[in-house]
Amino acid sequence: MHRTVPSLPLAPSVKVKLINAGFQVASDLIDMRPLQLCKEVGISQQEAVEVLQMLRDDGQPHQQRAATESLTALDLLHQEQALGSIVTFCSALDDALGGGLPVGKTTEICGAPGVGKTQLCMQLAVDVQIPVCFGGLGGKALYIDTEGSFLVQRVADMAEAAVQHCTLLAEDTEQRQALEELTVEKILSNIFLVRCHDYVELLAEVYLLPDFLSEHPEVRLVVIDSIAFPFRHDFEDLSQRTRLLNGLAQQLIQLATQHSVAVVLTNQMTTRVSNGQSKLVPALGESWGHAATQRLILHWEGLRRLASLYKSPSQMEATIQYQITVQGFRDAPDEPRPTPATSAVSSPSGNHSKHPRMEDRS
Amino acid sequence: MVILREGICPGVNEEFIKALQSEDIKTVEDFVSCNPEELAQKCSLSYKALVAVRRVLLAQYTAFPVSGADLYEELLSSTAILSTGNPSLDKLLDSGLYTGEITELAGSPGSGKTQVCFSVAVNISHQLKQTVFYIDTKGGMCANRLLQMLQSKTPNMEEQMEALQKIKVLRVFDVFSLLACLQNLRSNGLQKASVGGGSVKALMVDSVSAVLSSMLGGKQNEGMSLLMQVAGELKMIAKDFNIAVLVTNHVTKDGNGHLKAGLGQSWSHGPRTRVLLQRIEGAGTSSLRTATLTKSSRQITGFEERNDLIMDK
Repeated sequence: MHRTVPSLPLAPSVKVKLINAGFQVASDLIDMRPLQLCKEVGISQQEAVEVLQMLRDDGQPHQQRAATESLTALDLLHQEQALGSIVTFCSALDDALGGGLPVGKTTEICGAPGVGKTQLCMQLAVDVQIPVCFGGLGGKALYIDTEGSFLVQRVADMAEAAVQHCTLLAEDTEQRQALEELTVEKILSNIFLVRCHDYVELLAEVYLLPDFLSEHPEVRLVVIDSIAFPFRHDFEDLSQRTRLLNGLAQQLIQLATQHSVAVVLTNQMTTRVSNGQSKLVPALGESWGHAATQRLILHWEGLRRLASLYKSPSQMEATIQYQITVQGFRDAPDEPRPTPATSAVSSPSGNHSKHPRMEDRS
Repeated sequence: MVILREGICPGVNEEFIKALQSEDIKTVEDFVSCNPEELAQKCSLSYKALVAVRRVLLAQYTAFPVSGADLYEELLSSTAILSTGNPSLDKLLDSGLYTGEITELAGSPGSGKTQVCFSVAVNISHQLKQTVFYIDTKGGMCANRLLQMLQSKTPNMEEQMEALQKIKVLRVFDVFSLLACLQNLRSNGLQKASVGGGSVKALMVDSVSAVLSSMLGGKQNEGMSLLMQVAGELKMIAKDFNIAVLVTNHVTKDGNGHLKAGLGQSWSHGPRTRVLLQRIEGAGTSSLRTATLTKSSRQITGFEERNDLIMDK
């Protein structure tokens, strides 16, 4: 045990007492009995037991391995190829992302209201379930909704479109067999929905996620829609917000790596005024920009919806156009200027638009 | 502070320790700072024994001074300069990363810090054929990108695989795991890696601020201590094993609205050289970045270099 006492994850008051009693290295402590430790250091029996328990856990092969085992980049390459990615059904976006949303990384989707963030999240929750024989992941999804914008009817429409798409593609018997099990009901039953009303519930949910993911190892996607909403209202202490968000970001990337899930976060936009000009930038502050591994910014350009890959460790920056149709998130048609007919959005369950549609204007 | 335990040196047995403890002497420092004559009288221990133990303990625990000339000789023979693979960045860093020092890259999201780390790792593992340790705290490590960079350097598959095997990745996501990882590297990890052939020449931590920023500020009183411990561990690794340490950091705005590296004043004494990476405003989605030298013991600061981070495409 080469750990120094100040670097151990113990309460600061306990550590101060241990150091004052002269214990410098973890190996000094390892042979002590709780009562002995209690008397020499002056901490309570309970604290002494906790200290020794923590040291014993640290010495466990599993914990040690986590901190000390290194993978070579070659092993990591094989792992990445095995993990795969989640398609978005918009081929331009999939190409820009290198195949789709990567599993094992956190992706942040920022955008103004009505540009399609929740639509994309719902599409991903359906796409993650595409069976392996069709090139998908065949996994389940966990959808954490903080805004209340999850609409089951819309997901059902997207699921139906996905099933139809797969039916058209089915070629061999294995695919046809998988297709028999793929129904709208099945897709809906594989999405776990959690509704969080404020940031405390969100933090608690993320804290409980490791256990949930261990119990449900088939979950391949975790969506938090949106992470900005609970943190932008009634938060007086901004520095505390930054700390909480940073801690949350680290927990999420740890989840993504250890349980091989793709984590998708939605963020809102805010206006930044500088030099007399105003610009739309992602909300939650400068330091939150470092939190996610990849950042996708959805924005309007006139009547076109564009997606820009702003930050990625492996892909080049790119901007592509997409559209939202009845079937869900799709490629934009190859026309120089989209006419009202082709960019129509209509949903059987009514018009849930936040942005004025062409029909309203005409 | 080392606790006095039996067997710490010949002559120190249990009754010796008990007698000292009754005088409230628990550590080597307490023992050595006491006058042996007075101690002999108070503790009823023999003066000779006390002096003998004192001599042994002093010999064991004192630091030895080294002459400046010896230090200089050692520096000349052991320091190596590792090229980053990017000539304009090398120029900024006075030909590259120096072993025995910490170099820091700071920048806003998407400014290219991780890409520079990748390019340095690929350069060292492929060109110099040395092992690199990469500690990833943000999930930004993407082996595919490393392979892409290697493919543009050499079409030979075997060479690519060999270079990939020389890059060792460790993934830790909180500060205590980071400290455990660094302490483990210092005590046996680095030696084990060098035994297998090919010495370790570089250690990268991407990023240091991701694990530390949630511990600093507010009512937390441990953050600074952990920050200094991380800085201390990195410095010790750099010095003891002659390794170049490269860390990445986030940026904050200072009073005038200018960008500066994060983690505050105390951290700023850790790295010897600091570089600030920035996107070029108004350039849209171009891949050009500026790198500014903000702290250096060898060059004038304020140097700016523009470079295209996707040079190896």
